[in-house]
Amino acid sequence: MTQTFIEILRRALDEELAQDPAVHLLGEDVAEGGAFGVTNGLARKYGAQRVRNTPISEAAITGIATGAALCGLRPVLEIMFIDFATLALDCLVNQSAKYRYMSGGQLAVPMVVRTQAGAAGGAAAQHSQSLEAWFIQIPGLVVVAPSSPVEAYGLLKSAVRLGDPVLFIEHKRLYALKEALVEGGELPQIGQARVARVGSDVTLIAYSAMVRNALEAADELARSGLSVEVIDLRTLLPLDMATIAASVSKTHRVVIAHEAVQNGGVGAEISARIGSELFDELDAPVTRVACPFAPIPFAPELERALLPGTPNIVHAVRALIG
Amino acid sequence: MALVALEIPKVGLVMENARVVRWLKNVGDEVQQGELLLELETEKSVVEIESTETGRLVEILLQADQGARVGDRIAWLENNAPSAAVAASVSPSVPGQAMATTPTPPSAHAENQTERIRSSPVARRLAAEHALELQQITGTGPRGRVQLIDVQRSLHTQAVTAGAAGAPPSLEPLSNMRRALARSVTLSNATVPQFQVERAVDWTVLNAARADLIAQLPAGTPLPTLNDFLLQGIARTLLAFAALNATFWGDANAANAGVVPAKGTHIGLVVAVTDGLLVPVFHGVESLGLVELARRRREIVERALGGRLKREELEGATFSVSNLGAGGPDRFTALVNPPQSAILAVGRQRDCVVAPGGKIQVRRMSQLTLTVDHRVADGRLASDFLAALVAILESDTLTDWKTES
Repeated sequence: MTQTFIEILRRALDEELAQDPAVHLLGEDVAEGGAFGVTNGLARKYGAQRVRNTPISEAAITGIATGAALCGLRPVLEIMFIDFATLALDCLVNQSAKYRYMSGGQLAVPMVVRTQAGAAGGAAAQHSQSLEAWFIQIPGLVVVAPSSPVEAYGLLKSAVRLGDPVLFIEHKRLYALKEALVEGGELPQIGQARVARVGSDVTLIAYSAMVRNALEAADELARSGLSVEVIDLRTLLPLDMATIAASVSKTHRVVIAHEAVQNGGVGAEISARIGSELFDELDAPVTRVACPFAPIPFAPELERALLPGTPNIVHAVRALIG
Repeated sequence: MALVALEIPKVGLVMENARVVRWLKNVGDEVQQGELLLELETEKSVVEIESTETGRLVEILLQADQGARVGDRIAWLENNAPSAAVAASVSPSVPGQAMATTPTPPSAHAENQTERIRSSPVARRLAAEHALELQQITGTGPRGRVQLIDVQRSLHTQAVTAGAAGAPPSLEPLSNMRRALARSVTLSNATVPQFQVERAVDWTVLNAARADLIAQLPAGTPLPTLNDFLLQGIARTLLAFAALNATFWGDANAANAGVVPAKGTHIGLVVAVTDGLLVPVFHGVESLGLVELARRRREIVERALGGRLKREELEGATFSVSNLGAGGPDRFTALVNPPQSAILAVGRQRDCVVAPGGKIQVRRMSQLTLTVDHRVADGRLASDFLAALVAILESDTLTDWKTES
């Protein structure tokens, strides 16, 4: 049976609510399903105490969740758009991420901030951003960005059980995607990347929705006889450099693709680390495919024109091979 | 008017080898930019190649059926540009497979040896691991960058060549000394035309003279051996045969080739060491007495065996001696050590029955073989040199030998 990304997320939350009474959901309208219907029906099943609506205040949601986590609960909160995370930053950066360190390990903040990012369908400049790079600069946070419904299922469950604050970034373009869950699979480990496709000529590193573009590009390039290895990062903080190193040592060429702008992005960090840690393995400069440095336009035609996609990746790989 | 070199372009992604099927233009033809020049067979298909330049086809470098690789020069075109020779790529006329690389003008490397070679880190690492010179590898990457595949190709070519010569598939890497020797003897055999002359030498008198000299020397003095007498004898002979006391310089075909005469006599002595040999040089031998030669030789051989020779002690000789000693062969030939002009191979001493003046007797003899760079001297001169040297070595007066410096 195939399920959408949203249905699979709901199932993961349902299972975690069922197996651990400490797990609570909170956010704007989550008792009614939330902005995208992920939590539909869960309030009826687990009660208003555990699936709780909040006022429209990201600062308040994050503050309440952080306090609850400090007191032993495992809250999963929803920030409707990552664009609104700006309003939650103080608590997230200065409180949630710091408690374990500043208490000398006596306190922990086991919470998951589910949020939703990326551009799709003309949500315009304030509801389409990819702001993940901000968060990989905060020691104490964990940043996860699943690439498919099946990936989201395992990663969300692992995030809930992790015991530290996790920013869990869902891409709105993936929400309607359907996949069949394989029952009884092992949960992925947070901090471990996945080789989504094995190849030998070029390493293509991506995360979130861009992994699908990377796989499409690999298919297309395979028709020209190019063997592309695709790495799905899964976790952006901490980075799994071991998986990257193993791949780069094999292919000696790297393309990093993400939807966020190139400036100071996740790709910049990976590129710099490859440059310093794997210099002797490189046969070509590390190449990035990213969004041009501009706000996401509202007009769907302009949005399509701006966003990096499969053709951009194919072009970048071909340019690298020469 | 300027000459433009046309090169094989890369057609498709993995093209390495190609074969010229036929030329569509002849030498002397005027060629327009975009006009079809030749048909090229690649691993995948036959493609028509068009010229990227307008001009007159002045020379075809690769004929039909000849194999070629990407970047090989295939023809010269003369155009109306007022610049020096430049390289241009001909482009395949297959749509969507246009050339994207900018070739480097051939003059750039020749004129500026110190120009940085563009190369990727992993290519440099692999080249270093196999002691390959990046200069020897053609880079096919952007802006002529030497990439991993270029080094791998180069290694593959080496392996194929080695395989054809019957080399074992697993190679023992060469030590630095073995590598230097391999280069030197290859250079000698490949570039220096050499011939040998031979003559027997009678040591009987010299052996006695040497015994007398040693008896006279105070205790603790380094004792001269036959090698010291040889070095001094050769120095004296070289002063009389300036043609061999010189080095050949340049390409024999070049107008500026010549002979560089040496000032004084500088003689190398071949010393066998672990995994090879060294040829330390004795400078100004003509002014050294036998005792001083013996002292220096002992000291220099000791340092040679310990691998502690100075650079100047390995350079500047015009002539070498190789003496394999008492356990050596009766006679042997040696290769000239470039850029030196000659080398003397000394066979072992043995008792021989000879009949000088019709009188049969047993004498201590050995066979001298002189190998000479034929570019600097001929058989007559070499023969005279050897006769003069033997005359000195067979001289029966101890006073002829210079004992003190």
